[in-house]
Amino acid sequence: MSHEPTVKLVDITKRYSDIVALEDLSLDVRRGEIFGFLGPNASGKSTTLKTILGLVKPDFGYVNVLGINVEENPVEVKRRVGYVPGSPRIYEFLTGLEFLDLTGDIYGMSPAEKKKRIEEYLEAFELEGREGDMISSYSQGMKQKVVIISALIHSPELLLLDEPISSLDPRSARIIKDLLRELASDGVTTIMCTHVLEIAQALCDRIAIMHEGRLLALGTMEELRERAKMPESDLEDIFLQLTGTGDIRPVIEALLK
Amino acid sequence: MNWKNVLLLISADVKSYRLVSEERFRRFREDRFVTYALYVGACVFGVAIGWLVGNFYSGMEDPQLGGVLLQVAINFFLSLPTLALLYGLVITQIGQIQRIGVKASIQPLHWFPITWKEHTLASILANILGLPLAITIFISSGIAVASLFLGVVPLAVLTIFALLFSVLLASATTEASKVLQVRLSGAVTKVAGRVAIWVRFLGSILVFIVFYAAYFSLYRQATTLALLELIAGGQRMLWFIPYVWPGIALSYFDSGLGFETAILSLASIGFLYAIFLAAVRLNSRFGLYEAPAIRLSLGEYAPRTGVLEKLGFFPLEAAVMRKDFKALTRRRELTYVFIFPTMLVIMPFITVINKVPEFYSFLFVWLALMPGALMASSLGSYMMGLEGDSVWYLYSSPITARSLVKAKYSFTVLFSLAVTLVCSIIGGLLAAPSMGIAAIALTEALFLIFSLGMVSLSFGIRGAEFRELPRPRMIRPKWAIINMIVCILLALAIVSPVVLYTVKLFLEAVQAPLYAMVPISGVIAFVITYVFYRIALKNAEEFLIKAEG
Repeated sequence: MSHEPTVKLVDITKRYSDIVALEDLSLDVRRGEIFGFLGPNASGKSTTLKTILGLVKPDFGYVNVLGINVEENPVEVKRRVGYVPGSPRIYEFLTGLEFLDLTGDIYGMSPAEKKKRIEEYLEAFELEGREGDMISSYSQGMKQKVVIISALIHSPELLLLDEPISSLDPRSARIIKDLLRELASDGVTTIMCTHVLEIAQALCDRIAIMHEGRLLALGTMEELRERAKMPESDLEDIFLQLTGTGDIRPVIEALLK
Repeated sequence: MNWKNVLLLISADVKSYRLVSEERFRRFREDRFVTYALYVGACVFGVAIGWLVGNFYSGMEDPQLGGVLLQVAINFFLSLPTLALLYGLVITQIGQIQRIGVKASIQPLHWFPITWKEHTLASILANILGLPLAITIFISSGIAVASLFLGVVPLAVLTIFALLFSVLLASATTEASKVLQVRLSGAVTKVAGRVAIWVRFLGSILVFIVFYAAYFSLYRQATTLALLELIAGGQRMLWFIPYVWPGIALSYFDSGLGFETAILSLASIGFLYAIFLAAVRLNSRFGLYEAPAIRLSLGEYAPRTGVLEKLGFFPLEAAVMRKDFKALTRRRELTYVFIFPTMLVIMPFITVINKVPEFYSFLFVWLALMPGALMASSLGSYMMGLEGDSVWYLYSSPITARSLVKAKYSFTVLFSLAVTLVCSIIGGLLAAPSMGIAAIALTEALFLIFSLGMVSLSFGIRGAEFRELPRPRMIRPKWAIINMIVCILLALAIVSPVVLYTVKLFLEAVQAPLYAMVPISGVIAFVITYVFYRIALKNAEEFLIKAEG
């Protein structure tokens, strides 16, 4: 695995009026790494992904992706990245096939390559037979599969996935997990946000825990255990300890009153 | 019936129309003045008109003329319930069709303890908010003030009640029919299969056109007093149609027939209640109905190179244009984009045809210029907003501002040219214009389409509105108004050399051939197009950066 950073965030700060979305965030993500962002709701995970893709312009700091300054050349970055947003809405008046065809054209794929990749992915995600139906008739999970395929078909060098497995069936979730590992061994970098701690623990090489826009901890599972001084604990305990949200007993008691 | 639930549902509907701009996104506070400005404005305007009419009547010295005016006013009062029913039906139906295509499955109704009765009543009342209520307030305040001068206060008071009642009746009818429309559309989809898209598209346009044709033909006629007299006098003959009962009740009251007035009023209330119950029944039966999936392609996937690539568009630009074409033909809520150009073709025939012999000499020019120009100036403003909730896909795609503007502008121009072509053929067949007139009209049409398409696109990018619920707006109202005003002014500037030429005084002063004016139009159009291209490009660059908003 090369140690050349695929993504480099330097002193990123982003504010929305009086809300601090990201504060002084600096980190490197290496080539071929599966990198996980964990954190409570509104902790800045999705904003970080959007900043990496150039969808959010930081107030301070800069982002380099694949050696390109995102602010200077966002289009080139987008060309080489696959993105799955959280709760994506896609053109419901298109069929699944038409949406993937559109994606192939937008990313400049050749017709032969497009056909091969689309057919492979449709089969893998069991969308065959429904690909000609309008997306408006798809279930949430099917729509999520279409979005994931559209992020993958153009063979990106970097994947930015915001809760990619949230509404997938177990088989498709397993395919994604195995696929990400295979892609990582081929040098594709993945940065994902998730609330499913088991997935992060099993899949990610390194994990960043965020809270209120700040990076609380960053490292491998072992490094996080050391940091939290919880050598035998799993990620859930470490997460709750580091984010200060571990003591939930009073909350439960209050709710049960 | 839990009235609190009804009020809460109406309140939620009203709030769904809020336009929360980015700077006011947090800690949003209702601007009550803005919320009620439409109604306050309608009321003030109505009072002013009523006061003017009243003063005009009071100032009349000829008692005979005064009598005529009074009779016209009374006829107007008597015809109002039926007219209100018509405009209520048209506006609520249009609103319904605009909403119907949006899949609004997130309705608390589905899991909150709300009954279908409460939901239906809230929907009926919410449907009359906005334009129907504003028109009703305008007319009511006008006739209330005028009646003080005319001395017909009791009739005016009853008219106001009948007016409100008729609008409510229209809304209830729309509520009942909307579920049937969805169910019917689903049945058609199931039977038609792949053709369903076109059946649905053409069907929606047809429904629009029928309503608009009825609306415009009536309102064109309503400027003459004949229609008022016809409705006021003729509605008693239509006693078997319950929808005219409020109007008949009013005419009985005017004739001093108290008993008949009471009977008809009660019957009207009974009819409204029956419609309401029918709407409740239909909602409870089909309210959760999901139309079947439309399957558009079967068999092996074979990517093809389209015509657009052959015309020199990059695959990315062609892909965006193909996607936009599908959006306009498949999203029912967008079909109204086609309505106004279609109405411009039909409108002249509704009232003028067979009455004015010179009509045909203007027909070709009208059809060559207006529908295409209107299409360019409206479609361009919608092109960015029609991305809707899926706009993230454009933001995250490797598309440059230049390609985005090129794709959206080319689509607007090509579509408007197609409209102009079709309308010109119709106009040519009907009017058989001379070659000279046809050439000049078509050249001016091209100038208008190319320039107004760019003007409206630049405003469409700047003022794009992506929310799809409760209905897609596509452009924020402020920018829609700015676009409309600027397009009208610039269109006048473009055609002014040719139009001015036809003015006799100008003709005498210049003494130049008509053809000499066309290049001047072209230069004006070119300058406008170039200036607004730079603006559109700048707006697109900002648009692609401001994804966070």
